[in-house]
Amino acid sequence: MSFNSSRSANSCGKSKRSNDSNSNNINNNKKLRKSNQKTLGMAWGSNSLSSSKSSSRKSNFTDFGSYMVEKNRKLHDQFDAEATTSSIIDSSNSGNKPLFHGVSIFVDGFTVPSSQELRSYMLKYGGRFENYFSRSRVTHIICSNLPDSKVKNIRSFSRGLPVVKPTWVLDSVAANKLLNWVPYQLEQLVNNMQKQPKLSTFFVPKTNLGLQEAKTLANRHLNPEEGCFLENANSQESPSCEVGESIEYSPEFKEETCIYGLAKVCEVIKEEPISAEQNLLESMTAEPSCSNLNVGEAFKSSPCKSSASANDCLGDRSEKSPSSPQIVGEAFKSSPCKSSASANDCLGDRSKKSPSSPQIAPSSNQRNSTLGDPNFVENYFKNSRLHFIGTWRNRYRKRFPSLPGGVKDGYSAVSHGASVIHVDMDCFFVSVIIRSRPELQDKPVAVCHSDNPRGTAEISSANYPARDYGVRAGIFVRDAKSLCPHLVIVPYNFEAYELVADQFYQILHKHCNKVQAVSCDEAFLDVSDQGLEDAEHIASVIRQEIYEATGCTASAGVAGNVLMARLATRTAKPNGQFLIPPEKVEGFLDELPIKALPGIGHVLEDKLKRLSIQTCGQLRMISKVSLQKDFGSKTGNMLWNYSRGIDSRSVGVVQETKSVGAEVNWGVRFNTLQDTQNFLVKLCHEVSLRLQGCGVQGRTITLKLKKKRKDAGEPTKYMGFGDCENLSHAMTIPIATDDVDVLQRISKQLLGYFRLDVKEIRGIGLQVSKMENADMTSQGHERRSLRSWLSSASGNMEERSHPSMEMTGGSTKHGYPNSDGDSSRLPKSSTGPLTRGHTNQTPAEASLSRVSTLPQICDLDMGVIESLPPDIFSEINALYGGKLSEVLKKNDDNDDKLSDSVIGSSRRLEGEITKGKEPLPSEKIHVEEITSKNKGKECRFQDYQSASTSAVGSLNLRTGPMGGDKYEFMPTSLSQVDISILQQLPKELKLDILESLPAHRRPECSDSALVKCPHDKVKVEKVKDQLEGAESVLRRSLWSGHPPEWVDKFEVSNNLMLNRIAEMYYKSGSTGSLSSILQCLISVLPFSLDASNDVSDNVISSLCDILQQYIDLKIKSDMEEIYICFRLLRRFTTKSIFFLQAYDRVLPYLQASFSENYGGNLNI
Amino acid sequence: MERRRENQSPQVSIARILVEFLEVAITSIVFLKGIYPSDAFERRRYMNVVVHRARHPQLRDYIHSAVKGLQPFIEKGVVDRVVVMFFNNDNIPLERFVFSLTVSQSYKSNVEETDLEFSLRSFLVKLPVSESLSKVLPRDCRWEITAYFCTLPQATPSKEDLWIPTDTKQWDQPPLITPIKSLSSEPLSMQLYLEHANILKTTPRGN
Repeated sequence: MSFNSSRSANSCGKSKRSNDSNSNNINNNKKLRKSNQKTLGMAWGSNSLSSSKSSSRKSNFTDFGSYMVEKNRKLHDQFDAEATTSSIIDSSNSGNKPLFHGVSIFVDGFTVPSSQELRSYMLKYGGRFENYFSRSRVTHIICSNLPDSKVKNIRSFSRGLPVVKPTWVLDSVAANKLLNWVPYQLEQLVNNMQKQPKLSTFFVPKTNLGLQEAKTLANRHLNPEEGCFLENANSQESPSCEVGESIEYSPEFKEETCIYGLAKVCEVIKEEPISAEQNLLESMTAEPSCSNLNVGEAFKSSPCKSSASANDCLGDRSEKSPSSPQIVGEAFKSSPCKSSASANDCLGDRSKKSPSSPQIAPSSNQRNSTLGDPNFVENYFKNSRLHFIGTWRNRYRKRFPSLPGGVKDGYSAVSHGASVIHVDMDCFFVSVIIRSRPELQDKPVAVCHSDNPRGTAEISSANYPARDYGVRAGIFVRDAKSLCPHLVIVPYNFEAYELVADQFYQILHKHCNKVQAVSCDEAFLDVSDQGLEDAEHIASVIRQEIYEATGCTASAGVAGNVLMARLATRTAKPNGQFLIPPEKVEGFLDELPIKALPGIGHVLEDKLKRLSIQTCGQLRMISKVSLQKDFGSKTGNMLWNYSRGIDSRSVGVVQETKSVGAEVNWGVRFNTLQDTQNFLVKLCHEVSLRLQGCGVQGRTITLKLKKKRKDAGEPTKYMGFGDCENLSHAMTIPIATDDVDVLQRISKQLLGYFRLDVKEIRGIGLQVSKMENADMTSQGHERRSLRSWLSSASGNMEERSHPSMEMTGGSTKHGYPNSDGDSSRLPKSSTGPLTRGHTNQTPAEASLSRVSTLPQICDLDMGVIESLPPDIFSEINALYGGKLSEVLKKNDDNDDKLSDSVIGSSRRLEGEITKGKEPLPSEKIHVEEITSKNKGKECRFQDYQSASTSAVGSLNLRTGPMGGDKYEFMPTSLSQVDISILQQLPKELKLDILESLPAHRRPECSDSALVKCPHDKVKVEKVKDQLEGAESVLRRSLWSGHPPEWVDKFEVSNNLMLNRIAEMYYKSGSTGSLSSILQCLISVLPFSLDASNDVSDNVISSLCDILQQYIDLKIKSDMEEIYICFRLLRRFTTKSIFFLQAYDRVLPYLQASFSENYGGNLNI
Repeated sequence: MERRRENQSPQVSIARILVEFLEVAITSIVFLKGIYPSDAFERRRYMNVVVHRARHPQLRDYIHSAVKGLQPFIEKGVVDRVVVMFFNNDNIPLERFVFSLTVSQSYKSNVEETDLEFSLRSFLVKLPVSESLSKVLPRDCRWEITAYFCTLPQATPSKEDLWIPTDTKQWDQPPLITPIKSLSSEPLSMQLYLEHANILKTTPRGN
């Protein structure tokens, strides 16, 4: 009791009318005395918590829920009692079920006829009548009218049950059989519910469809617990499958469909007994032959039993249906697992039925379709022809593993006298099936998942008689049937295909060791060692053997290359062979329509037709150039070649697997993200299996989605994907994988990236690319180790460094004579240290010259190398053949040597660049230069510098710390120094460099730059900038040093104030920040006020200097400091005229530099 | 994981820390300026300093996304300034809090994150006490985050191309700058200063 109460409490949240008490568990043989239909309000109330409280107070029921259970039980009792008396079923006809057997109606709202009349019909004809809605007991909702809110939310209202008009009951009574309720649906809903049913719909058995109007063959007692449905289960047979078609709205199913369906039912039932049962009920009630129990009902019993009974059933049927068409036999031949798999394939046929029975959809929704089938993916691929073909290659490779390697080093088929045979089975998929069925030999036959004549399943292959009718692969069954009404449609038999394909290839391999498999039924053979005539003979032998072995015919084309052989086969078909000798190629192609060429599809054909090209002969008229212009170089080239019968492809080149994936674009419908993810998991599993099957692993995982376009309606093809956007996301992982878990994790992540409504997904594909061989990846660690990486790199370096050396040398040589005419200067400039540097260069040092190619060693940061752990260092050093330690040693010991070499190389660079870049201006310069060598040199360096400032900069940086022979490597002016780098140097170093520059050269340099390069203003300006920059660096020199220069200066000054300031520097802790100095100064300021009287201009300007330089120093990085300083200074100004004057003098400078750097004025 | 950390260029980690800091700092500025009622913020601790965090998801989101979007550009060192701009209904700026950034691109060694955070912390300490430096804003003012780039970012992936040109007008006069805090360290230099309209020059004329 308490259990019931909790249940009703739960359900009240879901639907106001659901009263899911399990009273049918208690007693099923109750009768209904009370005939009043309860109002909805009361029904609702029955579930409300508050009322359950109040009612429990008075009655002996613990709560309202239990009260309702009891009430329902009573109502059932009463109904049953009444039924026994009023039933008009003649007990004599015990084999027949009552008309409304299994139907349990719930009447909603006002109906004509009234609910009482309907109830009485139910009483009379063995149906049931529910006063309260219950999802588990009600099978049909009867109503004439529905309020809008219910229409909109039909699912929660009907809970997936059919909502039909009362006339259905009346008409059924009149017809004395249970009519299909579909046409009696409420119109309001019909419009609403044109949605496609979900895949699971198909697994829901309309299983009885093929079984109607047949005799009872077996009685089974089922379902002892659920007495409600305690019935005799009758397995029936349909003597003719066509019978079903005669009945409107009931889809035609061949027996095997039905069986597949049954198998499916087992699964469904296993999953969710209740809903499966519901569906069974539905399907049953939908049957006109209501009195006949369908097989599906058998499975209502107990879930665990059901699968067994399904098999039973199959057995029964196969024994007892001698008259059923052969297809049935075929179906039984296939293994049970297969049959269950085909269930979803035959679903295609139901397409017709399903749209007209929309209420199936809601009911199945509860189980979430595509995906309600746990094995959807598996089954999908089991039944996919494309999958069969796609994966066939792997099987083939495993079977003939010796093959690919042996043929790879084969020769080009274009070579003279080559002969290629193209063997292709004639309508493979059909002929394999009909070989065992001679009666179909001359009849039009097509292979398809299903043969529902109105279905949208696609014909995958048709035999020649069928093709004469225009039946082609890819058209819908319904179109095929209308083209050829007596078309026989047979299902796939993948096992047979596999068998035949294996036989086929065995024969091919027997005759030729160069076989290129194209597909399971198509291959190229390279028989170049024999002549064309011999090849023709081989072809005929092969064909003969194929026919003998497999009973299927094959056609062959013999020609000089792959292309022509394939074209020859076209002519040869069916069951023939054709030879195109080289001399006939042209003639053969002349009239060949362009469409026949491989690689020309609809698009290309249309384009060519617009150019009024129909045949290869016409195509040949067009030049290669214009073809390439119109179609791109590759396609143009292909067209040009093909139209001449040229094909450079060689037989036997096995293409490496580039990607492995699985894609499902049919029957994909999701409701929740969870569905999608579950589906993905399955897909990952499939992909993983395929990867393992191919023995490869991949690094890039791509998830492809087909998303329904916004305006796209439902596709014509049933459960197809229709008009879709194709979306994809990919992710590359560092280590190749074929692991399911990794795939799942990443694909889930990728799915998240799409951010779309799962309901709009119409197809999902998972693809793994960037393949690596599985066994190769296991060695991955080895390959990725530092050692191997370095060794390969150093190998490269070794190779490269030599030519680069030579090149450098060459260019140096070249550079010198070419640099200009003043050869007199050359010997001088390269005297002494320079020459030494040049000759001393080891290969590694030579690499420092930074000419075009840079061997690795100079890329190494020596600082880093030095600080490496010893073991790593020794490894690297070993790789460099010990050069590294040499270099390091040299770095340490022979600073000057290195610096020499740097200069030498920079010199050489200089020569090269002047030569290469602008010979004319540089020559001009040099002509003028002759007068003053120094200046000229500078000028040339400027030239060079502007060309590659960074190179020089880094060179200078390198030379920076080498103090030894400053004058050797800094003969040039400041302009040569990269100011930005100079500024980054430590202060001391900066100062060193600046000082080391000969002072007299500075003005000279700028002069020379200005005077001598008038033709290159940009450069001059650049130089000027740099000079200015350099000056500012110099100007900052007051703050450089430790202690800053000014401190010394102030200390020795005879001005007390300046002395004080210098003093404060030390007092403030020698931090070098002016603000701290000034802060210290505050404390002493009152005493030094007197000193402010003797203010000389000199003193103020020296203070201003340090202030200005401080601004320069800090303006870029630390305006806060400047701000503080000047706030302090301003405070001083009130007390000291000295500071006031200095402040006033510096302020404009301060504001100027602020507006220069920050576009504003400092707010002091 | 550790490896990856190490392999990160210092600019990446600087940018990461900086972006986080900017988010906090900008929120603090907005809080300090009293644009929103103080109830719209909650007290949090960041770098061991009491800061304020926006409660309203949209406000939080705006600051977060604006700053986060700058991260790749900060890494590359192309972001010159990040400005929190307060302006009135006529789009005339009243006050600008400028973060001037320089992320050294040549810096290669590892960044001591704690050191950097310690330096940044001083900004957060300084911000509340510099309230007196800033002006009282009128009631109906608005604000935005504006970033100034050294160079125009090249064709960036569309994801990051969500920048909106600002509508605010420029001041006629060069603004008055009030420095608040400067940080000058090797990989990262940052300065925070205030910009106000320079009325000193215009008022004498008006008078």
